[in-house]
Amino acid sequence: MFSARRIWLKSTLIAALFALGLLILGKTLGAYNQTQLASVATLFIGVLSVTLLTGASGQISLGQGAIMAVGGYAAALLVLNLGFSIWLAFILAVVIAAIAGLFLGLAAARLTGPYLAGTTLVIALAIPTLANRFESTLGGDVGLSVDVGNPPMWLTKFLGDIGIEQWQLFVAIPFSALTLFGVLNLSRSRSGRVWRAIRDNEVAASLHGLNVARNKVIAFVCASGLAGLAGALYGFRGIVGPSVYPIDLSLALLTGAVIGGLRSISGALIGTIFIVFLPDLIGKITSTFKVSEQVSNYLPALVSGVLLLLTIVINPAGLATASTQLLKRRHRTK
Amino acid sequence: MTQFITAFFSGSAHGAIYALVSMGLVLVWRGAGVVNFAQMGQAMFTTYIASQLIMHKSSYWIAFVIALLAGAILGAIVDFGLMRPLSARKNSALLNSESMRTTIPVIASLGVLGILKALAGIIWAGEERGFPSPVSTNGIKIGTTTLAFTAFDLFVIGVVLITLLLTTVFFTRTGMGLAMRASALNPEVTRLSGIRIKSVRTLSWAISGVASSLAGLLITPSTNLSPNTLDLLLIVGFTAAVIGGLTSLVGAVVGGFAIGYVISFVNVYSSPENVFLAILIFLMLMLFLRPQGIFGTKEVRRV
Repeated sequence: MFSARRIWLKSTLIAALFALGLLILGKTLGAYNQTQLASVATLFIGVLSVTLLTGASGQISLGQGAIMAVGGYAAALLVLNLGFSIWLAFILAVVIAAIAGLFLGLAAARLTGPYLAGTTLVIALAIPTLANRFESTLGGDVGLSVDVGNPPMWLTKFLGDIGIEQWQLFVAIPFSALTLFGVLNLSRSRSGRVWRAIRDNEVAASLHGLNVARNKVIAFVCASGLAGLAGALYGFRGIVGPSVYPIDLSLALLTGAVIGGLRSISGALIGTIFIVFLPDLIGKITSTFKVSEQVSNYLPALVSGVLLLLTIVINPAGLATASTQLLKRRHRTK
Repeated sequence: MTQFITAFFSGSAHGAIYALVSMGLVLVWRGAGVVNFAQMGQAMFTTYIASQLIMHKSSYWIAFVIALLAGAILGAIVDFGLMRPLSARKNSALLNSESMRTTIPVIASLGVLGILKALAGIIWAGEERGFPSPVSTNGIKIGTTTLAFTAFDLFVIGVVLITLLLTTVFFTRTGMGLAMRASALNPEVTRLSGIRIKSVRTLSWAISGVASSLAGLLITPSTNLSPNTLDLLLIVGFTAAVIGGLTSLVGAVVGGFAIGYVISFVNVYSSPENVFLAILIFLMLMLFLRPQGIFGTKEVRRV
């Protein structure tokens, strides 16, 4: 087995490589793709929260988008009303979303499968309506306009001119890499093993003396913290508002996690790239075929729905299976 | 007082529709162990079919019957094309635990919902359109006062009561209904006594498809039709089903009317903006105080 130090070393290395790769891509690609990469770095955190919650601990949430909204609004209010720096605001957004997740998790620990899915779906629809309920502070349907500001002087001296899109990406990279590092460690830690035990057999886990309810709540809190961070980064592209965190966002995160591979961290990355770039890819294909706008608007949703079902029925382990199977084979020969 | 009567009437009419949605959910949950989040997507799709027929000069009643048939077929297709292959893989690495066996079908049904919405967008442009009602939607007049109760509301309640009666007769008086109840109670024993539980499951999906298609036809005259309009109905129907215990048809109907009154009283005495929060609070209270529902039985876990 791996020693603790080797896990730390390995995950540090993977997270550093991930950050470096994004940085290099961000320097070489154009403004549009920089925005898309920033979305990848941001939504990767959101998809990882689903991987953690559903993949590792076996709980389903259709309300991750609502938790993202909690993080987004928290960060926006801290920046706009209290003048916090975005970095501090993002970190506090994690804490606030985690607290929201604690309450949700306390309710969720009593619920199983379909009950949990339905309740979180209601939450996903109910939370954005709060924006209208407290219109003066939360900005109603329009939302609050916030952005990541300008890059600091020392960085522009070091890296040359940094565009707005590039700066958005550069803000997202450290958070994304830190999350990756954290989740890599978490999945190999005691908590990760406990969650998987509970997921696979709740009765057996509790007979082994594990506190099932408490560990389920902990999983919910961790996943919510990540979702809150993703939500803050996602909102700070311009607007934190109900239209930024629709129910479709929650479903897109779930789709990405499943298509990439619900139980794998590399799968989460593959899934995120898939959900971010699928509309572009389909746009490229349809533009050569001259289909009407009516078709091309709905085609990405159709394709991702079909691929979701195909994944579940034919290849439930997701696109990442190939890579994990290769890894397993290597371990066996050792 | 007039406010109270208004809220009561509109709560009854809408509650009847919520009861239908809730019955659809309960049928599939009992028959196949899946909460079908695609249900209102199916209803949306079949209502579009009806709307299309009516636009091409077909009579309302022909469109009505065809939409119900389409609902049955769509339900059967979802079971046959998706849920059956899925349950055949229940020993695969992803599905071999109890928690994932309930979670993955939920995700699959959401996939179906996404596909149906996208298809409706591609075929019917996804724009909002009205849907006709077979009878008047103006308030019934008694003397000079106009009630907040329409002929259409009466029609809705009548249709729902007939549906309830038919399903009750089906489940208590027919062999097929008996087989469905048996397979919900104990699939293994039912299979051993020579009943094809796979066909029984497909039948549950089809009947549920009819119930939700009916709900779609009855709600759209007051909400209009677009790929997303029926999403709210699913949430409400789910809450109603949870109130009723998720396994009981009578509970589903009681839950449907209960949530109907909650929503219409919040609408009248508070504001429509608070409806979502009211549903959420109602659902949470129910889950904390009586998670097995009013008519459900407490699940006992055996080791």
